[in-house]
Amino acid sequence: MHNKDPMVVLRTEYSRGGRNSATVRMKLKSLLNASGTEVVFKADDKMDQVVLDKKDCTYSYFADPMYAFMDDEYNQFEVESENMGDAIQYLEDNMPVEVVFYDGKAISVELPTSVVREVTYTEPAVKGDTSGKVMKPAKLATGFEIPVPSFVETGDKIEIDTRTHEYRKRV
Amino acid sequence: MLWDIFCKVIDNHGDIGVCWRLAADLGSRGESVRLWVDDASALAWLAPHGASGVQTHGWHEADAATAGDVVVEAFGCDPPAPFVERMPRMAPAPVWINLEYLSAEAYVERSHGLASPVMAGPGRGLTKWFFYPGFTERTGGLIREHGLMQKRAAFDASQWLAEQGIESLPNERLMSLFCYGDAPVEALIERAAASPTLLLATPGHASRLAQAALGPSMRRCLLRCIALPWLTQPQFDRLLWACDLNFVRGEDSFVRAQWAGNPFVWQAYPQDDGVHLEKVDAFLARHLDDAPASTAAAIKSWWTWWNGAGPLPRGSDGGDETHAWETVSKHWTQSLAAAPDLTTRLLGFVKKVR
Repeated sequence: MHNKDPMVVLRTEYSRGGRNSATVRMKLKSLLNASGTEVVFKADDKMDQVVLDKKDCTYSYFADPMYAFMDDEYNQFEVESENMGDAIQYLEDNMPVEVVFYDGKAISVELPTSVVREVTYTEPAVKGDTSGKVMKPAKLATGFEIPVPSFVETGDKIEIDTRTHEYRKRV
Repeated sequence: MLWDIFCKVIDNHGDIGVCWRLAADLGSRGESVRLWVDDASALAWLAPHGASGVQTHGWHEADAATAGDVVVEAFGCDPPAPFVERMPRMAPAPVWINLEYLSAEAYVERSHGLASPVMAGPGRGLTKWFFYPGFTERTGGLIREHGLMQKRAAFDASQWLAEQGIESLPNERLMSLFCYGDAPVEALIERAAASPTLLLATPGHASRLAQAALGPSMRRCLLRCIALPWLTQPQFDRLLWACDLNFVRGEDSFVRAQWAGNPFVWQAYPQDDGVHLEKVDAFLARHLDDAPASTAAAIKSWWTWWNGAGPLPRGSDGGDETHAWETVSKHWTQSLAAAPDLTTRLLGFVKKVR
């Protein structure tokens, strides 16, 4: 809730500040009037969360501008692409998600905290560098790029933290 | 306006250094400032004469105080709950600023000036504003007192050194040292000792590491070392102005080295997972943007090594690139000095959101 308006978080940016602190910048959209705003919080700030209904579904297809999801009883729910937020970066067919509802309407999706995705392209690995400290961009099937250690190669499957978009490990 | 600046001293002296400097700068511009700090001991040597317009108070004295017009929590330090509890009942409520950490990273521009709704705790319902120091027009800028650059231009290094009882020998290069406990000071000394060098080590880690490396003689080959006393902020500025190469750390001295306009190497506050190296890289990307490639590579090699992320650089302290490094530093200082300073921007920001 923000100023008594229920908001959906469209984008988040987690940033490390000084002295092991962190902040989170959010792009919000009102569920009532579609107005948007950007805010920032310290990573340990407390906030009110609206209690929402959630349902396990899988991703079915995209019919612009709606993303369609289906539950295990073949009920279909559609979420506006604008409300998909960062979930779009990791979508693939039949992917399990939680569809989030407000007042009976599907408003967004929540991803698992980590996913495994194939690297569709990254620059060839530098021989000998196994430290994992040198990073390079790697592209996923959705076109989304995340930094990965230099030893990761095209075709590798990697585990990604969907909350911070950080590489966790090669699978 | 009446400003309340809250400062928690976590470690080292950066917290109180930055907060005192901001408080003093506001005070010099006619603002009234109350600096609430949990450990004011460093002010005894950092600012023994106080500053016009600034009153210093113990942290818990704020429990019984009512906020002024602007409340600044430095580095997200959360003012005392009793003080914050009274804020929502004020009309108008004070402007509440979180003065964030300095960084050259891109997220700073995206986050600077954003609102932070307070949704829980004693300040619930209020809005806090995140104010980020930075190096670009889209950030909060850097603290720079009125007249600083004029004082810098008029500075006589020889006279100042003499006043401090420091005699530098002909052809002796002056280096200042202010670092964290894991800085590779032994290796720095070993490298620097090949050329006439006077190393001026600040109290704390720098002096301790230098003394451990040099022993009681405080000498090695062509290097001499003097352990300095605690310096006031203005005197620390003059130390940086007087030296040919400055090793600085954290936030406050990092900024002051940039106003000095001399070559400097920054040691970032070490953080988990090495994320501080990203901050070093982000700064160098801006700082060296216009530098010739060879100069940029030389400077970067020193910074990388000093932050524990690369090998000891070849050559001697910049070697053939020394003059070019000086040019880079001066150019950087001039570009920063052309922009409005942080206090000016902060005053403007408060006026806008009030």
